[in-house]
Amino acid sequence: MANLNIDAVKERTFQAIVIGSGMSGSWAAKELCEHGVKTLVLERGRDVKHLKDYPTTNMLPYEFEHRGTIPTEVQKENPIVSRCYAFREDAAHFFVKDKEHPYVQEKPFDWIRGYQVGGKSLLWARQVQRWSDFDFEGPARDGFAVDWPIRYKDIAPWYSHVEKFAGVSGNKDGLPNLPDGEFLPGFELNIVEQYFQEQLKKNYGNSRHMILARCAHITGNLEYYQQQGRAQCQGRNLCQRGCPFGGYFSANSSTLPWAEKTGNMTLRTHAIVHSIIYDEAKEKAVGVRIIDANTKQMEEYFADVIFLNAAALNTNLILMNSTSNRFPTGLGNDSGLLGKYVAFHNYRAGISAEYEGHLDYTTQGGRPTSGYFPRFRNLHKQETDFLRGYAAGFSAGRYASADQDGIGMTLKENLLNPSKLSNWMVGSHMMGETIPKESNYVALSKEEKDQWGMPLLSVHIDYDDNDEKMIKDYQEQMTEMFEKAGFKNIKTRDDHRVPGLDIHEMGGVRMGRDPKTSLLNKNHQLHACKNVYITDGASMTSTSTQNPSLTYMAFAARAAHHAMGNELKA
Amino acid sequence: MERREALKALAILTGGAVLVPSCNFLKEDILMAYKNLQVTPTLQKLVEAVADTIIPAGTIKGAADIQVQDFILVMVNDCMEPEDQKNFMRGLSGFNDYSKEVADKSFERLSPEERAAVVEAGLAIKNDSEEKVPANEDDDEKAERENRKAVPEFLKITKRFTIQGFMMSQYIMTEIKPYQMIPGKYQGAVLVSDVKKEIIHG
Repeated sequence: MANLNIDAVKERTFQAIVIGSGMSGSWAAKELCEHGVKTLVLERGRDVKHLKDYPTTNMLPYEFEHRGTIPTEVQKENPIVSRCYAFREDAAHFFVKDKEHPYVQEKPFDWIRGYQVGGKSLLWARQVQRWSDFDFEGPARDGFAVDWPIRYKDIAPWYSHVEKFAGVSGNKDGLPNLPDGEFLPGFELNIVEQYFQEQLKKNYGNSRHMILARCAHITGNLEYYQQQGRAQCQGRNLCQRGCPFGGYFSANSSTLPWAEKTGNMTLRTHAIVHSIIYDEAKEKAVGVRIIDANTKQMEEYFADVIFLNAAALNTNLILMNSTSNRFPTGLGNDSGLLGKYVAFHNYRAGISAEYEGHLDYTTQGGRPTSGYFPRFRNLHKQETDFLRGYAAGFSAGRYASADQDGIGMTLKENLLNPSKLSNWMVGSHMMGETIPKESNYVALSKEEKDQWGMPLLSVHIDYDDNDEKMIKDYQEQMTEMFEKAGFKNIKTRDDHRVPGLDIHEMGGVRMGRDPKTSLLNKNHQLHACKNVYITDGASMTSTSTQNPSLTYMAFAARAAHHAMGNELKA
Repeated sequence: MERREALKALAILTGGAVLVPSCNFLKEDILMAYKNLQVTPTLQKLVEAVADTIIPAGTIKGAADIQVQDFILVMVNDCMEPEDQKNFMRGLSGFNDYSKEVADKSFERLSPEERAAVVEAGLAIKNDSEEKVPANEDDDEKAERENRKAVPEFLKITKRFTIQGFMMSQYIMTEIKPYQMIPGKYQGAVLVSDVKKEIIHG
């Protein structure tokens, strides 16, 4: 018996365990495996193999029973995920359904999740803008949160590292607030987007820019990506189904198969992480306790180093559930700040308008990206009555439509020969920085548990006055820029969505210099338990305005190399 | 549950032709595919006739040739609120009475031109916001009045899904206007006059 147990423990022992197989976890796994580290990847959901498990990827529009619409009954059962723009008939199978994974909303919060191998990397919007020191120095300059313990120079080489492997298309724009990276050829901005670019230059000098958004799509260097089995983006814009070309970066198409190929990765699916096991004598983490999603049996796995990349809020939940005599309120929580200072991106506002110039032109073909406004507000100094600012998307396009009046042969011929080409429709949406606050937090529910016995996460996150002022400013400034460009029929909106729908929740396990006011050090290690690394959204000290995935990927690669040079060296 | 789903799938494949007995022997069986609606084969035929009036056959096929009625009923059954489903069914049930009222015949007995006139008239109805409810109305009369009132709503829903079902059909998207899953390289400044336009005759 004793021998059997020893064998069982041996079989369950690895050099590293990575919790989570998505955007950041898959990067940690890839780096570790590539350098010979025997790595166990734990994923709470099912496996999704590249190509094989994309059931809708090549389906034609008429093959969807409801032509894309989610049936009313499904929407009523799943009001939260139904508010997500990508929850459609072609990708619904990659989203968590409300009822299966409940949580407590102390304040309204739409928590959008993807519980499967690859996580939300299958579903993301693939926008990858770098941070700069305008972002990393934000909290210190403006006096909120705590100072980031790293600066752009620490992360820049890792941005390059992940951009090259993931494949990023973009232009070198030479903007200090949105540093250039390792770019494959950019897509084209259309004639009206270029016109608007020129108008900004004319009206605002060099202080406001609209550029081509950098996106994680392959547009060149094809032989290099062939090694990953990936090919050029075809502009299908059906990314959320999983791409048969591997044209965009997902864990499933890129980092995970790469890690698997080394022979060093073991993937354990249906593994709901209960907690990280802390050994009080050794004063470090020694393993991970999981609950098998199907059998509901508990199992333990062991390793020298643990990477916790369960996505921002679940990473918080796992730490809070990892209690011991040494850490009665959650692993690494000496500061008492675990779960606090959670923030997100404010996506509430938008603007639309029409442009009646360049009507002799239109566009053709497909493009997986659009225009992007890097933050211009409060960039060099404080200039408004709110802190920080917003980035924004921008795009222009024309739409052919048919006259749908009447019935019979006239209607039929009108439908078959759409003759109305709209004016140029221009639009933008805001991506506002929110200020992390102690009062925006997540905690474990004291009473409620899920079907696996895990405490439910209780979410208490809301907008504040700073956000409201920023919405107003975005609407005013965009209106002014649109008016100056001669756009007509300008309409601003505030859809009053609740936090969460941005799918950019961040924080709760923030980085910092001082263990008294933060949980992670500059290397992404828990101050109080150094063989636990956290590189997903939970680690974010502030949110800035850029879509965060690229930064998580760079953090994960950087932290993996730190672990290999330190905790894994012995 | 699985059996029901399987039956439903079969029912859809066969154009709804799987029937469940209605409780009343005098009444027709109900089409099983559309569990939120109480659609009989006769009413299904009527939807087909209306859809085919909205998009008739000509040089190319019309709505009935490609069974757009099945799509309409699937969409009403699965993707509409109960209140809208009720309105659709009321209007559908009252449509033949409406046809008799304006054209003296039930819809199936009309010529294509007459059918078009009835559908156009029905679509143009503007219901008074202040409806007069007759005193001493019995249940049948009430149902009849409500059905009649729902005719324009039924026609609007049917028109909307006829257009969607026709334009997003396999027939149109493969044979008439082939769908391009790969749309080609993005070009941001194409002269409208250079865009090739092929006139498709209906």
